[in-house]
Amino acid sequence: MKKVGENKSAKGIWVFGDYRNYFQNRVTLQLIAKGKELAGKLGADLTVLVLGHQVHQYAMEYVAHGADVIMAVDHPALKSYQVETYSRVVADLVRAWGPQILLAGATAFGREFFPRLAKRLRTGLSADCVALDVDAQEGWLIQTTPSFGGELLADVITPQSRPQMATVHPGMFQERIHDAAAVGRIIYPDVKVEADERVQLVRSKPEQGHRGELEDAPVVVVGGWGMGSRENFQRLFDLAEYLGGEVGATRPVVTAGWAGEDRLLGQTGRSVKPRLLITVGTSGALQYTTGIHGAETIIAVNRDPNAPIFKISDLGLVGDGRSILALLLETLKKRL
Amino acid sequence: MRFRESLISAHHNYLINQMLTPGFILGQANGEDEFWLLADVLLPGEKAPCLSGRFYDGKGVFLLHMQGCEIIENPGNCILRASAEGFRLLCPSGEMLLSLDTEVFANGFLTRVQGKLYDKKGSLRMEPSFESAKVFGDNHRALYAPVRSQNKASDSHEIFPLDRGETPDL
Amino acid sequence: MNIAVCIKQVPDAPAIRMDKERMSIIRNGVESIINPLDAVALDAALTLKKKQGGKVVVLTMGPPQSEEALREALAAGADEAVLVTDIRFAGADTLATSHTLARAISRLAPFPDLIVCGRQSIDSDTGHVGPQIAEELDLPQACGATEIHVEGSSLIVRQVSDGFLNTFRVNLPALVTVSHELSFPRYLPFGEIERAFSTGKITRWGLEELGLEEHEVGFQGSATKVLRLYRPPPKQRGEVATGSTQELVERIIRRLESLSIIDEEGGGE
Repeated sequence: MKKVGENKSAKGIWVFGDYRNYFQNRVTLQLIAKGKELAGKLGADLTVLVLGHQVHQYAMEYVAHGADVIMAVDHPALKSYQVETYSRVVADLVRAWGPQILLAGATAFGREFFPRLAKRLRTGLSADCVALDVDAQEGWLIQTTPSFGGELLADVITPQSRPQMATVHPGMFQERIHDAAAVGRIIYPDVKVEADERVQLVRSKPEQGHRGELEDAPVVVVGGWGMGSRENFQRLFDLAEYLGGEVGATRPVVTAGWAGEDRLLGQTGRSVKPRLLITVGTSGALQYTTGIHGAETIIAVNRDPNAPIFKISDLGLVGDGRSILALLLETLKKRL
Repeated sequence: MRFRESLISAHHNYLINQMLTPGFILGQANGEDEFWLLADVLLPGEKAPCLSGRFYDGKGVFLLHMQGCEIIENPGNCILRASAEGFRLLCPSGEMLLSLDTEVFANGFLTRVQGKLYDKKGSLRMEPSFESAKVFGDNHRALYAPVRSQNKASDSHEIFPLDRGETPDL
Repeated sequence: MNIAVCIKQVPDAPAIRMDKERMSIIRNGVESIINPLDAVALDAALTLKKKQGGKVVVLTMGPPQSEEALREALAAGADEAVLVTDIRFAGADTLATSHTLARAISRLAPFPDLIVCGRQSIDSDTGHVGPQIAEELDLPQACGATEIHVEGSSLIVRQVSDGFLNTFRVNLPALVTVSHELSFPRYLPFGEIERAFSTGKITRWGLEELGLEEHEVGFQGSATKVLRLYRPPPKQRGEVATGSTQELVERIIRRLESLSIIDEEGGGE
């Protein structure tokens, strides 16, 4: 095996265009905005890769949101997102054009596609970054990536191999607004596209409800063991509805069967970064709080003034979760 | 790796020769073969794709001159049939000369161009193909700003030469 | 069916039991556990072995004490274990780790029909090693599996991905990473672990056994370097309020108003 490669001469920042559920899934647009900022510092262009079949609409949307260049590959074999097929095509494009940075949203697809691609290109990749920056002098992409569920952050660089790759957590950057007057360039590369026959998508259907919604919800309301009963926990759904949010749960709640595993937050569950998180009857165990670190504002209710949850809340209320919730719901009901 | 390059607009593009482009010119008004087709750039808010051009049949017989989607000269007795999604330009025999089909998106739209067009020498310049017509001959250029104020199809600085390129060895 | 399972020994978060309210601040030598998702992977492999017959080999790359994790796996029912260990493997990023593990897997005889890994580990959280092993061994992959069935010489894998419920048919040999929904790890009675110490067969492979060179592994074989490691800036600890239920609810309402989650009462534009 050759030594991990060196290539300092390549230019350009590329973003992989993940256009599935385009109007809900904004991560590509967020990356275009951030990518343009970084490209500005490096004197480079921002290119978006659009692979698919008859997906002209998304190419146009990406231009409207700031892409300088679209690299478009239109082929029936690219109609559904498929890791092995996509890896081959993108690897060939990267080898021909030599971008210095390659970014993708940390969607489930991105998180299994990018590592395969990085290995194919023998280059470095950081996962689920929460921040990006460049050192223009060195040409480094500084990738801030979480570990231990966000307890620790690492600033990582890929000093020699190219491209420098990263997947980025959705919601970290602000997308640019749609500009109907924008014009960009579009490149149609003559690249070989071959479906990998070893994997076949037998069936794909949209998932109902919850999964996507929890990570996208601007408000998340969480109940813990301190709620006391399934009935009390259920009232959180009313609160979530009043506030336009979703409901999450801790491990004891899921184990007790008051909520499904898909609502579990924490080390072995999901991570959310809502504008507001209200957490009731949760003591603040680390296995739980790793899933809520990124919330902008945390309001916590717990009976125990020494509960660890108050170490991370912006507003803590010492009291009985059940009665506070009941009165809160009554008050909101009168107002709304 | 070989590639083709064009321009792309955020709100409206034509699809021609399997490429998106905000506007394009085929041929040259003052050229020997006298064939030209201009699909003008639309500004945000404009809805009607705008075509102008001079078309011949396979024998080099002059059929039609169109300006801004309106027929100016029609010795070939061609028929213009408009529809909600675009229009069809047909020869008296029923054969399709040119068609435009518009697809509307949430924030923009796309016009697929198909057609079978010849120049004065009887050479094939455009032929129907999957999704959009294939184009033959020289002088296929993209526009990034409207030319309609000028009414001619040459020498404007709104033109971007459509690249055919090859990436360098890295 | 011959199955290889990659597991990783990871530090446990400060152990907290469900009935305790306080977090233990002092950690006496960090506890190590098998990465939870790798335990699920092992469980899946053992279940498949029960149905299809065959052999389950567990591999781990780590310092010598990772052998404990292999012992647990053997006690749970794995047939063989391989400890991939060498001081020179230290400091590896996922590129170097996957290269080392892929080499180890390719040395298994016979080559496995299926490789199973947990989708990601609780420490580094990347989820890269599985797909990177698959790429190096040129195997098709299916990630985040919630269900796995064998159908002839293929695998039927269900996955939940980005709002889609997908079903794939994957030709063997293949690599699959598993997600939490697949199963719950089995609990080991202590007696079984004791037994594993006497009957377990653990092979140790280092740099030379794997035919690797120093520049391909560990720190040298890594493409990424960590510039700095730090705790996220601590949130300013907010106020903690006490009072009557009424007063507390009022504070919540005011906060909701200030965040514009609800409109302020009475005030018009």
